[in-house]
Amino acid sequence: MNGRRGGTTAHADGSVAAAGVLEPVATLTGAALRRRRRRRQLASNAAWYVVLTAFAAITVFPFLWMLLTSLKGPADPITSVPPQFIPGHATLANYQKVLDSLPILKFFQNSIVVSIAVTGLNVLVSAMAAYPLAKMRFRGREAIFYLLLATLIVPAQLTYIPSFILAVNFFHYYDSLPAVILPSLASAFNIFLMRQAFRGVPNDLIDAARVDGAGEWRVWWQILLPIVRPSLAAVAIFTFVTSWNDFLWPSLMLHSRDGMTLPVGLAALQGLFSSDFRSIAAGVTMTVIPILLFFIVVQRHFVRGLAGAVKG
Amino acid sequence: MTRRFRPTPYLFLVPALALIGVFVVYPILAVVYYSFTDYDIVRPPVWVGLDNFRQILGDETFWLALTHSFIYLIATPILIGLSIGLAIVVNRKLRGIHIFRALYFVPAVSGSIAIGLSWRYLFDRNGFINSLLQSFGIIHEPIQWLATPALVLPIAILLTIWAGVGYYSVIFLAGLQNIPEELYDAARIDGCNDLQKHWHVSLPGLRPQIVFVSVISSLAALKVFDEIYVLTNKTGGILDSGVTMVFYLWRQAFQLHHAGYAAAIAIVLLAITLVFSMVNVRLLERQDADR
Repeated sequence: MNGRRGGTTAHADGSVAAAGVLEPVATLTGAALRRRRRRRQLASNAAWYVVLTAFAAITVFPFLWMLLTSLKGPADPITSVPPQFIPGHATLANYQKVLDSLPILKFFQNSIVVSIAVTGLNVLVSAMAAYPLAKMRFRGREAIFYLLLATLIVPAQLTYIPSFILAVNFFHYYDSLPAVILPSLASAFNIFLMRQAFRGVPNDLIDAARVDGAGEWRVWWQILLPIVRPSLAAVAIFTFVTSWNDFLWPSLMLHSRDGMTLPVGLAALQGLFSSDFRSIAAGVTMTVIPILLFFIVVQRHFVRGLAGAVKG
Repeated sequence: MTRRFRPTPYLFLVPALALIGVFVVYPILAVVYYSFTDYDIVRPPVWVGLDNFRQILGDETFWLALTHSFIYLIATPILIGLSIGLAIVVNRKLRGIHIFRALYFVPAVSGSIAIGLSWRYLFDRNGFINSLLQSFGIIHEPIQWLATPALVLPIAILLTIWAGVGYYSVIFLAGLQNIPEELYDAARIDGCNDLQKHWHVSLPGLRPQIVFVSVISSLAALKVFDEIYVLTNKTGGILDSGVTMVFYLWRQAFQLHHAGYAAAIAIVLLAITLVFSMVNVRLLERQDADR
């Protein structure tokens, strides 16, 4: 804004100076003022980049520090004044040590199985439930809607005591992956997101399909789902990341060494190497990098989905 | 439309309702029942009436946990302020802005355990923060950050804010991008400077997002667990200095096997969240009325 006002003044000066002179000079001053404006723009941009970089440094530094620490050899000090940033004797030995003492790859495998199963089934179940709530009229719709709304408020942690007892006495799946998968399949939140997406689909389209003789299942599968694919993707990514990082319930359910998901295994790592910074750092780095790569790949959809969750 | 009963809508709803029934509705009813019993998960529950609730009244750790959870709510206004600020910054059209937006989102996808562990070691006696402060001569002796009762909760809150800013700013960014450019032009014509422009246009325009973020971030603050678990190495901190409601619930239920007592704590937490949500709904309604 300031830049623009400055520009106008410069232009006025330029015209005064150029008064009575012919065309070429005027273009010259035009170029000069454009250059000046660009320079001012550049200065203001540089200031913004400083702010952005400072913020990025604060955000990323703990991860960077973990990465650097994980590469430190036995001769590199963990604590020193001033702190040592770049390891003098870089090594991958810490990673080897963590991999030797904990089945990290197995944790990965478990996390992948759980997150994919939860994401696929949760999205399917939520998208199914969302269709009648968005596009059909039937008895009890309001009641069901408000019941779902109410469950949204209840903190999940409150349900863990009975769910624990169910897992041990009824489902008999304590200490196995289904114990983590099954309770995560129902999500009122996802139902609401999908409902919102379906509501955006014109009724005419659905009616036309019905007139053509398509049943409700075909309408849902062949018309609605393809149209709302961006929302579907966003909900799926959101569910995947949440499931991948879920800790409290899995930590209650999974106790065998080979049966843990990554966050549970990472917490076990803390117990195992409590004073060994290098190994902890290696463990953290190993678990963070894959989800970061995943996020970089799907970032666009994720951010759009998050933004779409709140409509003005 | 025909009057006859059509099963189709219900068939679509059955899987979701069955799952929610088993894993949400049943557990809530069961927790209400357990809260009136003495129950150790192994032996059958024994009805004790209001004993658990009476015990809560005299339980100092419970009140401490409750206080801590309320203190944690301070994270909400700070998160909102910082996230809006960041959203305004990243809303500028600058080259490479997408990279910065992605960087700010890193803590939100890394998982609470991983980021909690990295903070736990940053704030260790032998951690980076002490090294840094000593290098600048700000302190001369290392500080036992997480072994100082007064510091555990503030560090956890700081961690929550640090991890949340990038996440919430995406929501505000979407809100900003929905505000019509003409409103800013009008403000400019009225002689607003940059700051006034955001005060008079951005803030009112972001109201739905502000309400949404304050609801979800305050509910999240009331049920914080992972951060405390990792930062205090599942002890809750010296003198229970980091114990929050859900942490205390977890300890009573799954460390001490006082499931009945933990259920009573759960009921109190439920009551608090309900009151909170009702207040939030009121605010939402008032907002609608204002429009």
